[in-house]
Amino acid sequence: MHIAVLAKVVPDYLVPSMDFELSNNRAHERFSRMLGLYDENAIETAIQIKEKTSGSLTLISYGSENDIQFLRKGAAMGADQLILVKGTSDDAAVIAGNLMAALQSIDNVDLVLAGQQSADMDRGVVPGILAQMLGVPFIPQIGDVDHENGSWTVTQITAQGKRELEFSGPGVLSITSIPENVPRIPAVRAIFAAKKKPVIKLESTDQKKMALNELEVAIPKIECVCEFIDVEDPGQAVRILLNRLNEERYL
Amino acid sequence: MPRIPYWNIDYGIIIDLLAIPVAIVFFYGLYRQWLLIKQGKMRVIPSIGNMIQGIGTFRLKAFLVRGILNARLYRKPASGIAHGFVFWGMVILFIGTNLVILNILFGLPVFSGGFNRWFMSFMLDLAGFLTLVGIVFFLVRRMIPPVRLRLPEARKGFVPVSGLLGLILITGFVTEGARIAAAAGSLEAGAFVGNFLASNLISPALALEIHAVTWWVHGLLSLGFVAYIPYSPLVHIVLAPVNVGFADPAPNVKMGVMDFSAFENEDAEELPALGANKLADFTRKRFLDFSSCLWCGRCQEVCPAYNTDKPLSPKGVIVTLADRLASGKLDESLIEGISMDAIFNCTTCAACMEACPVSINQPKTIMRFRQNLVMEQSRIPELMGKAVASLEQRAHPFFGTGSGAAEWRKDLDVPIFEPGQTEYLLWIGCSVAYEQRAQKIGRAMVRILQKAGTSFGILEESRCTGDPAKQMGNEFLFAEIAQQNIEDFSALGIKKIITLCPHCFNSFSRHYPKLGGEYEIIPHGSFIKILMDEKKLNLVRKDQLITYHDPCYLGRRNGIYDDPRTVIAGVGGLVEMPRHRNESFCCGGGGGNYWAEELGSRINQQRAGEAMETNADTIAVACPFCLLMLTDGLKKHTEETKIFDIAEIVAASMV
Ligand code: SF4
Ligand code: SF4
Repeated sequence: MHIAVLAKVVPDYLVPSMDFELSNNRAHERFSRMLGLYDENAIETAIQIKEKTSGSLTLISYGSENDIQFLRKGAAMGADQLILVKGTSDDAAVIAGNLMAALQSIDNVDLVLAGQQSADMDRGVVPGILAQMLGVPFIPQIGDVDHENGSWTVTQITAQGKRELEFSGPGVLSITSIPENVPRIPAVRAIFAAKKKPVIKLESTDQKKMALNELEVAIPKIECVCEFIDVEDPGQAVRILLNRLNEERYL
Repeated sequence: MPRIPYWNIDYGIIIDLLAIPVAIVFFYGLYRQWLLIKQGKMRVIPSIGNMIQGIGTFRLKAFLVRGILNARLYRKPASGIAHGFVFWGMVILFIGTNLVILNILFGLPVFSGGFNRWFMSFMLDLAGFLTLVGIVFFLVRRMIPPVRLRLPEARKGFVPVSGLLGLILITGFVTEGARIAAAAGSLEAGAFVGNFLASNLISPALALEIHAVTWWVHGLLSLGFVAYIPYSPLVHIVLAPVNVGFADPAPNVKMGVMDFSAFENEDAEELPALGANKLADFTRKRFLDFSSCLWCGRCQEVCPAYNTDKPLSPKGVIVTLADRLASGKLDESLIEGISMDAIFNCTTCAACMEACPVSINQPKTIMRFRQNLVMEQSRIPELMGKAVASLEQRAHPFFGTGSGAAEWRKDLDVPIFEPGQTEYLLWIGCSVAYEQRAQKIGRAMVRILQKAGTSFGILEESRCTGDPAKQMGNEFLFAEIAQQNIEDFSALGIKKIITLCPHCFNSFSRHYPKLGGEYEIIPHGSFIKILMDEKKLNLVRKDQLITYHDPCYLGRRNGIYDDPRTVIAGVGGLVEMPRHRNESFCCGGGGGNYWAEELGSRINQQRAGEAMETNADTIAVACPFCLLMLTDGLKKHTEETKIFDIAEIVAASMV
């Protein structure tokens, strides 16, 4: 069993909104860089499959050489090797095309996992485009992944509930976070071992861009409007608060 | 009539000759204890050139004060006094018995004059009587044991050995009474118990026969008792003082720093195990700890985790290990038996260590399990895991904080540390930078330092010392963060640091020097006291009652109790909570438990309740984590804002 996980190194995704600022239309360089939030869930899911099936795991990323130090965390968690496609585009089609080239450079991959969406752009489209390029199924928002009798059973998780799906052959799944795939803290031995794991660096290849132009990037002005929910019973306060948050579409 | 050796006894020398095999059995028993302890690992101390130590450094003062004088036992007066009766009674009886032997062997004139009257008769009777009183106390208490003795497990074997000792004392008195009764009419000056028995209970007609029988019974039982000591719970007579002598001097939980260089070494054949999972992973000193445990449960009684229905009992941990050690199960995994919840519920407050009469280091044992779980097995409770990941990724553990690094000093003109220009680095730390309520501590301290005209500066971007990682068992991450900080401090030429958080103070003063970072570290409360002493602050003493919560990492861990109290007394009236100074109760946030879903009831609510009961107007703390935990805990009791850091209280009193 050989699983590939697509991961992206992103600026700190928990920078408080009051502190957030742009430089060159992207998150300021002063913010720490790290593996994407859902990408770590995808890596954890892949490691669990790898442990169950005695398989192998390749971590693939598109980005700069500087990202390797952060990708090593994936290796410390359990990936066997890293592939970095060097590139700077943030066009989803270009990224997907380059990731496909990386996938094709390694032996038969049985399953491709990715985070549900990158933690910087939050688009969640790359895995879908990649699946289309590969001609395999793409299923987003996956929690559990199981492999039995040559086919995959996966659980798709939405706000409304769960849906179980089955398919055979390779596919691309985007992984959401569930309590079972909380990323592990790498063990010290694994951190040192990760330093020795192979890193394959590939040059990016020309890919067809999506037909769109970026016109403007802006961050919202943060305003604090304080509203008191004036009820005695905390349970009722919570219900009102939840309703309000739903109405305002924060949830 | 002077006492005559072997009076009324034929072949009495047999008893003395039997002392030789008894001594052999006794010392063999101790040797077996040593064999048990010797199975532990040798300690390696990297900071002094990989020196290997058997057990540790022996400290005579601790040995005498806590080991021999049993100073800590008297914190519980009833059992302390009873123990004192038994211990000192036995010491005096032992001396008396040896004087008798010297009398037999060399004719030492101990049975004549005032010495006979006051020591050999009165003192020995008094010692025997008080020992008996102590024994009766302990036997009764074993029958109606307090919870701390009973749970989670009571030590077996105390009743037979105490009963045996009681019997020895009784037969000794009967022998003495019979001897006096046989002397027909003349009582023995000073021997008040013997005289009482001779005049009231022992018939002079039977005295000779009784004496002959009880003399032998007393002698043989005494020999049996001595031989039995190392095989019974009374072995603590020997092990406890030795353990105290080898213990780190209080107040102190030295966790040390770990050396990870073997992991860097490509040729290293065997990598050291990180932390402990099984008994074989512990050092000889810890084995001595486990063997010395009295199972008295004093540690459990003061443990905040145990007292709030969490699955941790420090006694439970130590006795589990003692049991396994005694049964030779050195290679069985222990973590599941103790439970991961218990291991992470420890707040590392060191209350157990402070209460332990034999100076056992319970937190260190618990932390070793935690280290193994985190660094070897990648197992950590979810919230703690997030904090550790955040520390690794963004150099502070406050994941999801609403504050940026510079927000705490918004609208304040805070100087940045200038190499060669600034005297003190004001170390902000993580909680003060990233937690909104705690930010006020930083702002207050800046106002105080500016008012006093102190030359100080901060780092451009606040960060953490790495202490939360260390407390959660991730020594590796701690070492990485500490090394980075040390490098940066060197580049800036930092020599003096004022800390706002006792955890930072503890890390800088205790762990950084071992990694090459030596600085003069001053906790903010102590620095404010210096400024007050130097009359650099003009404070108004308000008509307010203030109670002070001792942070574990400032108080018990570093012995700083007085400075914050002096500061508080300068701005209001100090009122103490029942549990204060070294007996203070943790706020619940230590050991990384600030990032925990608490099981059972909440420690912070209990402590905030105690503070409320003092009726103080203000509850003072000297630690941002205590501030946050107690502020949260107080919500259960009142909606008033009553908890403030001492810097905030002082800043509000400045004119
Ligand atoms: S250090 Fe504190 S929390 Fe931990 S076992 Fe000891 S008393 Fe309990
Ligand atoms: S560890 Fe110390 S305080 Fe706790 S039961 Fe053992 S001897 Fe008593």
